[in-house]
Amino acid sequence: MNPNDLDFDLLLTPGAWTALWPMITIALGLMMLLAAEVVSSLRPFRSIFFLATLGVAALFELRILAGPESLTDTGGIVLGGALVADATSAVWGLIFLIGTALAFSYSTAYYSGSEARYKDEHDILMLTCPLGMMMMAGAQDLVVFFLGLELLSIPLYILAAYKRSDSKSVEAGLKYFLLGAFSSALFVYGSALLYAELGSVSFGGAAAALAENEMGSLAMTGVGLIVASILFKISVFPFHVWVPDVYQGSPTPVTALMATGTKAAAIAFLLNAFFLLPSSAANLIAVLGIVTMAAGYFGALVQDDLKRMLAYSGIASAGTVILVIAGALANPESLDAARTAALYYIGAYVFTITGAFGLIALFERDGQRFTRLTSLAGLATKRPAMAAAMTIFVLSLGGIPATGGFLGKWFVFSVLVNANMIGFAVIGAVLSVIALAFYLRIVITMWMLPADEAHPIPGADRPLIAGVATAVCVAGVILTGILPGLFI
Amino acid sequence: MMALLSAHLSAQAPELAISNDHLLALAAILFAIGVFGFLVRRNAIIVLASVELMLNAANLTFLAGSRMHSTSEALNLDGPVFAIFVILVAAAEAAVGLALVIALYRLKLTVHLDALNQLEG
Repeated sequence: MNPNDLDFDLLLTPGAWTALWPMITIALGLMMLLAAEVVSSLRPFRSIFFLATLGVAALFELRILAGPESLTDTGGIVLGGALVADATSAVWGLIFLIGTALAFSYSTAYYSGSEARYKDEHDILMLTCPLGMMMMAGAQDLVVFFLGLELLSIPLYILAAYKRSDSKSVEAGLKYFLLGAFSSALFVYGSALLYAELGSVSFGGAAAALAENEMGSLAMTGVGLIVASILFKISVFPFHVWVPDVYQGSPTPVTALMATGTKAAAIAFLLNAFFLLPSSAANLIAVLGIVTMAAGYFGALVQDDLKRMLAYSGIASAGTVILVIAGALANPESLDAARTAALYYIGAYVFTITGAFGLIALFERDGQRFTRLTSLAGLATKRPAMAAAMTIFVLSLGGIPATGGFLGKWFVFSVLVNANMIGFAVIGAVLSVIALAFYLRIVITMWMLPADEAHPIPGADRPLIAGVATAVCVAGVILTGILPGLFI
Repeated sequence: MMALLSAHLSAQAPELAISNDHLLALAAILFAIGVFGFLVRRNAIIVLASVELMLNAANLTFLAGSRMHSTSEALNLDGPVFAIFVILVAAAEAAVGLALVIALYRLKLTVHLDALNQLEG
């Protein structure tokens, strides 16, 4: 767009407002939380502000999902081609909002001491994350994506190091920061190279330029750098080595948000920026996905720290979900099926992994280090409800039928089969079966091993909100597992 | 303002202008130095500075790209706008990064990255 004929009345159409309201709501909610910081009479309502903000934003996402005419007229593209707001981006938005609400519920009782006293800062940073994720998932322009990425990443750097008297947390924060800043720099330089050749940073402009000319080496390098930085964000091999350290050291509710949000938003972007990828990359991406799955599953087998185990399992999930990109590249007609598969997989994954990390957060309360696998021994006799919930999450991660994890994997692999990449689908399925060994290890520890009397399982004083969050996660995993018709 | 910028661009004396290829090459060299510094140096501050160098290489490329795609009638301002956002984000990132480095220094009395060794699996 030529800046000389920039006209705000043309940009801010009714459709643009509809598209923007979820983000505006979160921005207003952030200001409310900031105001509650100084107006002491508002302080008791901070949690309500937080959850209400997410709730109202979710209502606005539902309005986008309903497909009002002001949006469908332009195919959901608003703001001069900077942002898309269609059914896909609305579902992504809902996933982000649910994930944030769950992570927040588990964080309410997690911190103690001075960390609990300054928790309002924690909440403000946490509420910024879904705003960034929505911008990333709706971006039709590299600038918008970059701003969303940073709006998500910078709060996460701080949150990872939120326990600043704990050297592990600071280490996790600094590692996440350094590698995140590096990958952002790769993204920016990649965008710059793409711009230098195509003369536009919006998808529309780039697609128009690509329709006229073949992609040159400058733009090709740019796309390579952009994809590398995204693969880094979703922790795909060989960019996955930072994940276990960061997930282990960060406060557990933050880990839950990190594990779902960043990944989901980056995948949503890759599916939007799909046209930039050369179709010859399909096999490369499929191989990366399979290798990532293997690295995740085999890495998890040798861990004895629960958070590291789940981190490796998250790496494996990242490997699984990028397979849809490979499938869609090999068979461009299946792009919509790939979108659905990615949404379904990540939707089920949000409930599963947030629930699992949340339960670990509950175990860990009051500064007790309770994240070894052995410390789960005998959980079933002491806290049967918790053990049952954990079992459901672990089985869903392992992909047992009747859980959301199974159907998610099913959709991903069927995209591959439709793209005639049956070999990759078979290897992926075999790897998933091998992975069951490690997931069953957790189940066996909980249900079959006697409790270790020297390290008793912490008491039953769990906050109501965390119980509700766990119930929501369990319901989510099971509903996505047996009633897929509800969601598609 | 726009007219002024266009006039400025078109009034450039050709023999003084640096070619776009040279600008791109300079940016690529800066970026490579930044990547090298990030991978090799172990001092957290230097590593941060290396990232800044990479971001500035990107900014230079944006400006070169803008020059390549601008004509004397229409300026292509996508790149400079991106560069301004990058500068803004880099400032925020540096603030957070330095705060994290200070937190590390308080705990370990060093800013050497080898002090980050508690989370090896």
